[in-house]
Amino acid sequence: MSRSLMTGNRAAAWAARLAGVDYVPAFPITPQTEIIETLSEWIRRGELDARMTTLDSEHSMVTAAGTAATAGVRVFTATSSQGLLYAMEMLYAVAGFRAPFLLANVSRGLAAPITLEPDHCDVLAARDSGLLQFHAASCQEVLDLSLIGYRVIEDKRVRLPAIVNLDGFYLSFTREPVELPEAEAVAAFLPPFDASALGLRAGQPLSQAVAVLGGTPYSYFRYECHLAALQAERVFAEVCEDFGERFGRNYSALERYACDDAEIVFVMMGSFASKARDAVAQMRAAGERVGLLRPRLLRPFPADALAQALDGKAAVVVVDQNLSIGKGGVLHAELCSALYGRADAPGVITSFIGGLGGRDIRREEFFQMVSETREALQKARAGTLEAPPAPRLLFTADELRELRKMQAIAAVRDAEVRSSRPPPAPNAGSQGS
Amino acid sequence: MTRSEEKPIRKLKQLPSQHVMAAGTPMCAGCGGLEGLNEASDVLGENTVFVNAAGCMTLLSVYPFTPFRGSFFYTAMASAPAGAQGIRDALDVLIAKGRLPAADDLQVVVLTGDGSAYGMGLSSTSGAIERDLDFLYICYDNEGYGNTGHQSSAATPLGARTATDRGGFHGRTKNLFDIWVAHQPSYVATAVASEPLDLVQKVQRAKQLSGPRLILMLAPCPTGWDYPPERSLEIGKLAVDTGAWPLKEYVDGQVRHTKLPKTRLPVERYLETQGRFAHLFEPQRDEATLRAIQAKIDADFAAIEGSTTAPD
Amino acid sequence: MLRIRFHGRGGQGIKTASRVLGSALFAEGFEVQDAPRYGAERRGAPIFAYVRADRAPIDERGVIERPELVVVGDDSLVQVAGAGVGVGLDAEAVLLLLSQEPAAVWKQRLQTEATVITLEPPAPDPDAPLRSGPEPLVGARVSGAAARLLGVVPRTALEAALAQELGALPTTARERARQQALEAFDALAAHAGAVRARPAPGYAERTSPGWIELPFDPADVSAPAIHAPATSVLVRTGLWRSMRPVIDHSGCKRCHFMCALPCPDSAITVDDAGYPQIDLEHCKGCLICVAQCPFHVIAAVPEAEAQNETTALPRERRAHEP
Repeated sequence: MSRSLMTGNRAAAWAARLAGVDYVPAFPITPQTEIIETLSEWIRRGELDARMTTLDSEHSMVTAAGTAATAGVRVFTATSSQGLLYAMEMLYAVAGFRAPFLLANVSRGLAAPITLEPDHCDVLAARDSGLLQFHAASCQEVLDLSLIGYRVIEDKRVRLPAIVNLDGFYLSFTREPVELPEAEAVAAFLPPFDASALGLRAGQPLSQAVAVLGGTPYSYFRYECHLAALQAERVFAEVCEDFGERFGRNYSALERYACDDAEIVFVMMGSFASKARDAVAQMRAAGERVGLLRPRLLRPFPADALAQALDGKAAVVVVDQNLSIGKGGVLHAELCSALYGRADAPGVITSFIGGLGGRDIRREEFFQMVSETREALQKARAGTLEAPPAPRLLFTADELRELRKMQAIAAVRDAEVRSSRPPPAPNAGSQGS
Repeated sequence: MTRSEEKPIRKLKQLPSQHVMAAGTPMCAGCGGLEGLNEASDVLGENTVFVNAAGCMTLLSVYPFTPFRGSFFYTAMASAPAGAQGIRDALDVLIAKGRLPAADDLQVVVLTGDGSAYGMGLSSTSGAIERDLDFLYICYDNEGYGNTGHQSSAATPLGARTATDRGGFHGRTKNLFDIWVAHQPSYVATAVASEPLDLVQKVQRAKQLSGPRLILMLAPCPTGWDYPPERSLEIGKLAVDTGAWPLKEYVDGQVRHTKLPKTRLPVERYLETQGRFAHLFEPQRDEATLRAIQAKIDADFAAIEGSTTAPD
Repeated sequence: MLRIRFHGRGGQGIKTASRVLGSALFAEGFEVQDAPRYGAERRGAPIFAYVRADRAPIDERGVIERPELVVVGDDSLVQVAGAGVGVGLDAEAVLLLLSQEPAAVWKQRLQTEATVITLEPPAPDPDAPLRSGPEPLVGARVSGAAARLLGVVPRTALEAALAQELGALPTTARERARQQALEAFDALAAHAGAVRARPAPGYAERTSPGWIELPFDPADVSAPAIHAPATSVLVRTGLWRSMRPVIDHSGCKRCHFMCALPCPDSAITVDDAGYPQIDLEHCKGCLICVAQCPFHVIAAVPEAEAQNETTALPRERRAHEP
């Protein structure tokens, strides 16, 4: 094993290489392109025996990934943001194929307005599709969760495609130390791909992904996808155990940090959760009983594990780097549904939304989240908390000043004035009033 | 993959007496597209995977029923050629890596209607041709979005009544043959089931080539075109004999006609068989549109040697 | 509430029937809900349509499980299990079939306690060419019949509803449909009001829905994939037929590629002696083979006659002459 500095993108590419993938349908999009460029170069030099085909769009790319996996090859692909959404129809379809492949999503905010910087709105838009989701918080995790991911999804109890999510810029373009396992060790961990009952060949007729009429067969097929996704939690635990024995890095559905005697626990996903961990460390040093829970699995949603980890805690601070317009943070809503009705569930759950479009979340902000949560907790203990505090959209006075300056340059005030004028009379001249 | 060892088909007798595809599909009685697909699949044989885009023929297979003795894969309306790419690449990789015997290879055939082929599927089609994908594309063209109730598509011809043009379509019709030819693929041909020898010979020729190949079949549609189902073949013949559906092929950079009507019939003979053109005749004749339809065909045939226009 | 379920084939005007009845009931002051329900949207394929009518706003939706009236426009559907003609029929319900066979025969065949009433199907128009497809007058006929059986739709209301719902048809077709509906309405005078409204089964009579915990099936089992070839042969599309092609082998020249090759449905096989044989399980009756045979040895016979073995001379039909 060798430890070297590499970006998250390069770690994703290494995962595909070590997994011995056969086929990479590709389409470029920032901030993922380094992945396919790296793979393309390795293939050209003969260091990876695979075929790469650039399709005409991400929708086509995901289609090709699903049909190739059905035909019996190990498939890897990658995309981000607008590309993931362009493929959205096919994400649901390929999950229904029950043919496994891995898709690395380098998360990036969604238009409009268009941005290149990260948040989790893209990957969370896919949460209902049937693809499993693994969320990496370090470049090492990008590699390891991808290798674990292949074993999980190729298991006969699962057979679903999966997304490994890595944050754009903060992981994709950031170098961190990554320990690369030896190829033989990975080959021992991950057996060759087996198409199982699928596969396309002469003499073995297969009519695949065909139409159904009636709610009963449709319900059966989609329910079974769901049951398989739920099975994946157990399979993930088994595979992580084996991975830990072979490679010395132990993973589970949840990362726990300083939770045991914590009163107030952060719940957060992705690479920015390490900033929460850093803030927690500082608060612990000052005597605050805080902790952090970081889900590595989003689908299947580790409801029981989360609920048990939070039993008996006083309060939860959920930090969402995503926004469901008109509702709020996705992780917050999903967590609340897992906790409701449990006798020992925390009484106060607060929601903070930040980090959209790559906006930083500063240490002070994590501290303030705990303060505000503590206030709510005190009120709850005093019996004076009528309703949980409203979700807070993280934004500062300085930021607003900055935004107003931009609006001034954009002549927003002129537009406002313009729109308040009465409309010109019919047949009036071109002069305004 | 063995291709060129078959005897050339010169007589219809040489075709199997029993279709390769089985009965029991829910296509409309008299479906001209299914006639053509049957003829084509008899030549292609069982070692074929049909990759399908949304359209009438998506319903060929409704779980647990399938008429295919080979394979079939439903993808999505826009991306059947991309699905074909994935399968072709996968099979090539498996054969190259010794995980599949070459004898077990499959022909990869995209099967779509005109809705996908002329419209939403163009991006994935264009990409597939540009990448020189080794595949056959069979398009059954019933000149409308048939499965959804026959709304106008990019293939709808001038004057045709559809569910979204109840007064008759007056837009432009895309020329899919020329779009493919501009990509310089291996082979492009128009065909129709009512000219079976021409159709099967073209399918056989296409089968023996590699690279991107298109068979564009006119699919007379009793439901969408509004005529009694038993006339499907007669109408296909009239489409050819009036020049409304020229039979031609593109290969080695050249376009040639494979069957020219000796005496081209006036297009009205074709139009009057179908309810979708009835408004051009009743309650009074729409001379302007009828002339425009005839003029377009006359212009297309003007350059071809040996064709004559029937007297009015 | 009155719950009426119509059964027929695509192309028979069943959707129109439900709309005629729905409009008539609405005009009579009922709250109404009417809708068609398709399987595969194809001419000849089984479809059903339903109408609900009540004095209060209607909350029920979807499939009618326990109808007050079932109307069958095409009696060949009774043997099509998927058409669900008999579903939910109980002793208080009425079943109306368009059929040449008497009600007693159907009651026996269906083993039902419902009241069974029959009415002849529409007479073929002697001037019109024999159809190779479904008869659209069926829908008009059953709408009039159903209106009379309900007892709450006066003839005038039916007439108004017919004018409203048939307006899009060309004049001759509209008039023929109107006549069919009114003729059926009049013909069923003896059974006027046979259908009674009743409330939905009550909470006290509830039964268990029979829920289970869906067992987890591994992907090899639970993928929507078919692993066998040609399973479509199990679908008897021959039941779509209203006209049957009949080959006179004495005149057949065994040029099978003229009839078997163009058959869209692979429904003509060739026997060892080289003679084409129609696969009656699957032939949809499109009659392309009749049109194509160069020696005119294939005749088109109405399916009802062809099934009736006592018919000595099937009516013949030439290929359509342009």
